[in-house]
Amino acid sequence: MAQQKKAAAIWLLLWLQSTAGVLGERTREKMYEPILGASCFRRLNGTHQTGCSSTFSGSVGVLHLINTDADLEFLLNSPPSPPYAPMIPPHLFTRINLLRLKDAGPKTISVVLLINRSKRMTQFSHELNCPNQYSGLKLHNSTETVTCDASNVANTWNRWGTGLLHEDFPFPIYYIADPEEIDKLEECFNKFNNFDYESHSLRSLCAVEIKSFMSAAVNSEVCMRRTNFINNLGGSKYCDPLEGRNVYATLYPRTPTESFDVDATEKFIVVSCRLDTTSMFDGLGLGAMDSLQSLAVLTQVAHMLHKLLPSANSQPDPKRNVLFLAFNGESYDYIGSQRFVYDMENLAFPTRSTRTTPISFDNIEFMLDIGTLDDIGNIKLHTLNSTPVAKQLLQLLNQYAKSTRYGFNVNIESNVGLNIPPTSAQSFLRRDQNFPALILNAAPNNRYYHSIYDDIDNVDYVYANTSQDYTKLADVNDAKNISWSSLQMKVRNVSSIVAMALYETLTDKQYQGNQVANPLLADEFFYCFLLSSDCPLFKASSYPNSPAGVPLPPMRYISVLGGSQESSGWTYRLFGYLLSRQEPSVPKENCTQLPLFYFAGLNGTGECRRTTQNYTHALSPAFLIDDYDWRSGQYSTWTESTWSQFSARIFLRPSHVHEVTILSIGIVVFIISFCLIYIISSRWEVLFEDLPASNAALFN
Amino acid sequence: MDISKAPNPRKLQLCRIYFLTGFAFLPFVWAVNVCWFFDEAFRKPPYTEQTQIKRYVIYSAIGTFIWTIALITWVILFQTNRAAWGATADYISFIIPLGVS
Repeated sequence: MAQQKKAAAIWLLLWLQSTAGVLGERTREKMYEPILGASCFRRLNGTHQTGCSSTFSGSVGVLHLINTDADLEFLLNSPPSPPYAPMIPPHLFTRINLLRLKDAGPKTISVVLLINRSKRMTQFSHELNCPNQYSGLKLHNSTETVTCDASNVANTWNRWGTGLLHEDFPFPIYYIADPEEIDKLEECFNKFNNFDYESHSLRSLCAVEIKSFMSAAVNSEVCMRRTNFINNLGGSKYCDPLEGRNVYATLYPRTPTESFDVDATEKFIVVSCRLDTTSMFDGLGLGAMDSLQSLAVLTQVAHMLHKLLPSANSQPDPKRNVLFLAFNGESYDYIGSQRFVYDMENLAFPTRSTRTTPISFDNIEFMLDIGTLDDIGNIKLHTLNSTPVAKQLLQLLNQYAKSTRYGFNVNIESNVGLNIPPTSAQSFLRRDQNFPALILNAAPNNRYYHSIYDDIDNVDYVYANTSQDYTKLADVNDAKNISWSSLQMKVRNVSSIVAMALYETLTDKQYQGNQVANPLLADEFFYCFLLSSDCPLFKASSYPNSPAGVPLPPMRYISVLGGSQESSGWTYRLFGYLLSRQEPSVPKENCTQLPLFYFAGLNGTGECRRTTQNYTHALSPAFLIDDYDWRSGQYSTWTESTWSQFSARIFLRPSHVHEVTILSIGIVVFIISFCLIYIISSRWEVLFEDLPASNAALFN
Repeated sequence: MDISKAPNPRKLQLCRIYFLTGFAFLPFVWAVNVCWFFDEAFRKPPYTEQTQIKRYVIYSAIGTFIWTIALITWVILFQTNRAAWGATADYISFIIPLGVS
C-alpha cells in the first residue's frame, strides 16, 4: 500500500512538472525583442558598390518615428542622443531625405527603418530614371545608352525613379512590413523616447540593432579577385555573380539531329519578354506591373498559337517556327539577353545536349519583344529603323486590335527612332543596329517600378477562382464571369491581338475564329505568381502528386548560383505544360526523358506530353571572358555580396552617463580588490595565526 | 638554461651561435641574444671572453634595432596604403578584411 502511494506521488510530481512548464528564459532573451523584416543588401558592379551594410557587430540606433519633415529636421540638426534610427514611412522615403541622412554620417544616423504605412504614398520607385542606363544601345562610343536621356526626366522610361537602388548607404536599411511589428516599435518609442527630448542623453532609450554586415566591398573586380584568390586559404567568398536561367520554348518541336551545323532554311520568329524583377529588399518584390504582365502575355500568346497551330506541316513554310524566350536578370544590365546574344554568336544556343542544330542570327526572321504594358490603351510598336517587317506587323496588330468583331478597342501606334524602351531587344540591337527587333511597349505609367509596392494592388488583381478549364481557348464574347475591365481581360486582349497577328504572319491567312486567349489562364497565372505557388496551374504543370509549392509567390529576383531560382523553374514547367502535345500512347514508365515529360495535368491524373521547353544559362559573359576589362561597360558585371545573417531586435539602450558609471564602478571595485588581496597576503599571520604544524612547514 | 652556471668558453660559443643564426632573417634570435647575454657582457666582472661576447651583443642589438625600424616602417606603409595598392596588396595578403576596400 505504501509503495502504491509512493508511486502515485511520483506520477503526480511528474504530471505537475509537465503542466507547469519550464520558464528557463535567458537574460539575453528578456533583454531583446526580435523584429521581423527584410534587409537591404550590397550589390556591386564593375565600378561601384551599391546598397547597404551594417557594421561588423551590428548597427545600433535610437528609435525615432518620422511623421513629418520637421521630425527629420530635428534628428539632422539637433539630435540629443545620437546615433538615431529613424522610422520612415514610404512617402518620406525620398531621394532628398535619404541622401541627407547619408550625409549626416553614421555618427548621427546609424540605421534606417522603412515602415509599411503606405496611406500617403503616391509613388515609390528606386530604379534609375533610365533603367539599365549604361548597358543599352550605344552610339559613337558613348558610355550612356542613347535610348533614354536622363537629363530630361519627364521623357525618361521611369520618371518616378529615385535611383536609390544605385546608391551606396553607410547604414543598414530595414523594411518592416508587418503592422504588428510596426506597432511594437511605435509602442517602445512612445513609452521610452517620445517625451522630454532634452533628457534623452540622461536616460535609457528604446533602440534597434540591425545586423546585416556585407563581406564584399569596392566593386565586382575587387571582390571577384578576392574570392578567386589563391592565397584565400579560408576559402571565404566575398561575392557571387548574379546568375540564373533563361527559359525558352518553341512552338513546334525541333527535329533531333546529330549535326552541329546551322540549318539555313530554318526560320524563327522570336517572341521574348523579361522574367525577373528586383527591389531594394531581400526576398521582396513581385514586379507585378513591371514585368509579370509581359510574362503573362508571352505565356498566353504561346498558348494560343499552340492551340491554333497544332502542326508545322500544314503551314505554308514548315521550316518556320516561333521561339519564345523569357530572359532572366534583365533588371541588372540585361544579363540574360547579353548572354543569349553571346551564346548565339558562338553558335552555342541551344546547347549540344538538346541534340538540335544551333540557331544563328541569320535564322531569325524578326524579334517581337514584349516590354512593359502599364497602360494597355497606349501601346506603341518601337523600332530603330522603319522596315517593311515592322510596318507589316503593325498593320496586322492594328487590324485585330481595332476589329469590331473582337471589340478589343486597342490602338497600337508606331514609334521609329532612338526612343526605345529598356527591354531585352537592346542587347540584340547593340550587336547589330539592323537587327529586326520590334518592341511592344506601353507608355510608362508605373509609379512603383522595381519596388516592393509593385504588387497586387498596383495591378488591381482580384482572383476569380472559377475552377474551370483554363487550358482551352475562350469564345470572344465569353468573359467567364470576369469583369471586362479587369487585369485578366487586359492580358487576354493584348495576348489575343499578338497571337492573331503572328497567326496571320505564319499562315498567310487572316484569323477568322471566334476563339481568343482564355482570361482564366491569366487569372490562374497571376494567382500563382502574385499570391501562392501552391496553386492549380503550377500543380497541373508539375509531376503528379509532387509536393505542393509554398503558399508564397515565387521569388522573381535573379539571385545567385544556389539561389531559389523559383520563378525560372515554374516558368519552365509552365512552358512545358502549355506548349506541349499529349502522347496518349506512351506509358508513364517510358515518359521520363526530355522532350517527353509527365505532367499532373488539369485533373491531376497524369499525362505524358512532348515538350519543347528548356533552359539556357543566364550568367553575364563578363565572368566567362579571361582578363575581362571590368570598366569597359561591355557586359553586365553585377555581383551580390555575401553575408552571414540578417537580424533586427529592439532593446533598452542605457544612457551614456549610465554606461560610464557602471564602467567606473567596475574599475574601482577591481582596484579595491587588488589592494585588499595585497593587504591580506602581506598580513597573513594576523588572519591565519593557528596554522597547524604540518601545513606551517609548507609555508616556511 | 641558467647561463651563469656555464663555463666562460661555452658562453662565448653560445653567444656566437645566436649571433650567426640571426643572419638567417631571424631578428628575434638577435633580440634573445641581447637580453640573454646583456648581464654577461656589461655587468659581470671582466674575464677573457667578455670582450668578444660584448661585441656580439652589441652587433645583435644593432641588427635588432635595424630590423625593428624596417618592420615598423613596412607595417605603417602597408597598413596606410593597402587599399590604394589594390590588387598588389591583395596578392601579398593572407587575410583580407571583410567589407572594406
